[in-house]
Amino acid sequence: MPKTPASTLPDQALVHAIAGGDQEALRTLNQRYGQALAAVAGRILDDKADAEEVAADVLWQVWRQAVVFDPARGSVGAWLMTLVRSRAIDRLRARNVRLRPLTGSSSVAEVPDATFDLQAAQTRNLVAAALKNLGENERAVLELAYYSDLSQSAIAAKTGLPLGTVKSRIRSALIKLKEALRGSGDQGAS
Amino acid sequence: MNHDQLKELLPLEALGILEGEEARALAAHRADGCDECEAELRGFRETLAAMALSAAGEAPADLIWERLERRLDTIAADSTTPSERAGGRGVAVAARRGELRRWRVSAAIAAGVALLMTVVADRSARQLVATRTAADAQIAALANRTRERDVQLIERDQELTSLREQLATASQMTRAVLAPDFHMIKLQPMPPAPDAAGLVAMSASRGRCVVEVAGLPIPPPAKTYELWWIGSKSGPVRAALFNPGPHGGATVTPGMPPAGETILASAVTLEPAGGMDKPTGAMYLKGSP
Repeated sequence: MPKTPASTLPDQALVHAIAGGDQEALRTLNQRYGQALAAVAGRILDDKADAEEVAADVLWQVWRQAVVFDPARGSVGAWLMTLVRSRAIDRLRARNVRLRPLTGSSSVAEVPDATFDLQAAQTRNLVAAALKNLGENERAVLELAYYSDLSQSAIAAKTGLPLGTVKSRIRSALIKLKEALRGSGDQGAS
Repeated sequence: MNHDQLKELLPLEALGILEGEEARALAAHRADGCDECEAELRGFRETLAAMALSAAGEAPADLIWERLERRLDTIAADSTTPSERAGGRGVAVAARRGELRRWRVSAAIAAGVALLMTVVADRSARQLVATRTAADAQIAALANRTRERDVQLIERDQELTSLREQLATASQMTRAVLAPDFHMIKLQPMPPAPDAAGLVAMSASRGRCVVEVAGLPIPPPAKTYELWWIGSKSGPVRAALFNPGPHGGATVTPGMPPAGETILASAVTLEPAGGMDKPTGAMYLKGSP
């Protein structure tokens, strides 16, 4: 039976193929997620070269540890985003640089029509719309919490907001975002 | 704190920014096994991942692949044959000899002007080539050592992650075993995997269940193993999806069987990736309480 091209495999099957040593599957996973991995790392590290290195680190980890991926614990996309955020924050702590300013956040990727996965593209558009619908205050605090190495107390200190307000804004923003994505039937990181 | 209050902390937990007493209270609640909170937390994490995936990026995937390919090449280079390595050195030596010849030609031209100058130039050229050759060798050796250190560092990091996961699973197993209502189901091998074995440890009061399997074959592409509870009223109920490690072993922490249901058996089948609502594939393990 001819081998199924990696580019047509769903994410979970890609990870399975990677566990079997399929480099083409790894290349496909990079095509699907590499840019997003570098984007998240870039937002945290504010350094393009470091961000590319962290994205490569994450995919290298996937190459070596694909067998430990457990689909019952979440999607491939969520796994990758958890890995990249954790690695980028580790690198940030290691070099102890100053954080990127809060302003100028929230650029959202333009999603071309011909993406590997129409559903993923639709989800990205939904996220873009949902982020735009969040209040600026909610969005800014949510993004600061995600793209920084700050505790909630540190976020309160940095923004000058009471701790309770920080908590309620984050909670409210994330719940709204989750509700907005629920309509898609799949929360995107399939 | 009650369940509803703890549930309000889940968005902060998904972001990893909970602190102090709140963090401890939620950790204890999760350790007791709350399916609702786990599902909610998974949902928030997926939402954050979707948000991150929508972020605009500047780095083309090709640039990342170049970095990744260098690492893959490093591993591949380690497996090159001695003759291939020797061939590579031969090319480098030939290149350096060519360089030496060029210097000698320069020295010969200088000899046309003055014999003394030729001798001086030739000596200088030899010294320069020797110095450059030594420096090249040092740089190559340093680069190799750096690559080796990088690979070792990554491997240590992976081992650490794996050990943390094993420790977390062992803690869960211990809690289940220490519960007063602990009971277990031994999973027996079925014809597709005669060497496989499994054990289910469960405590209803702690809401905790851990399944350990061994000796399962690596599933073919686009397939995965699915664990089932087989209840007296509802029949087979999906419990968890998993893929075994390189040695056919896996530790799974499935959700508890449906409340009020009497479990007649537990089984593991091979199903299409993503799992099925009811078993469709071959049965690899099965056991009854």
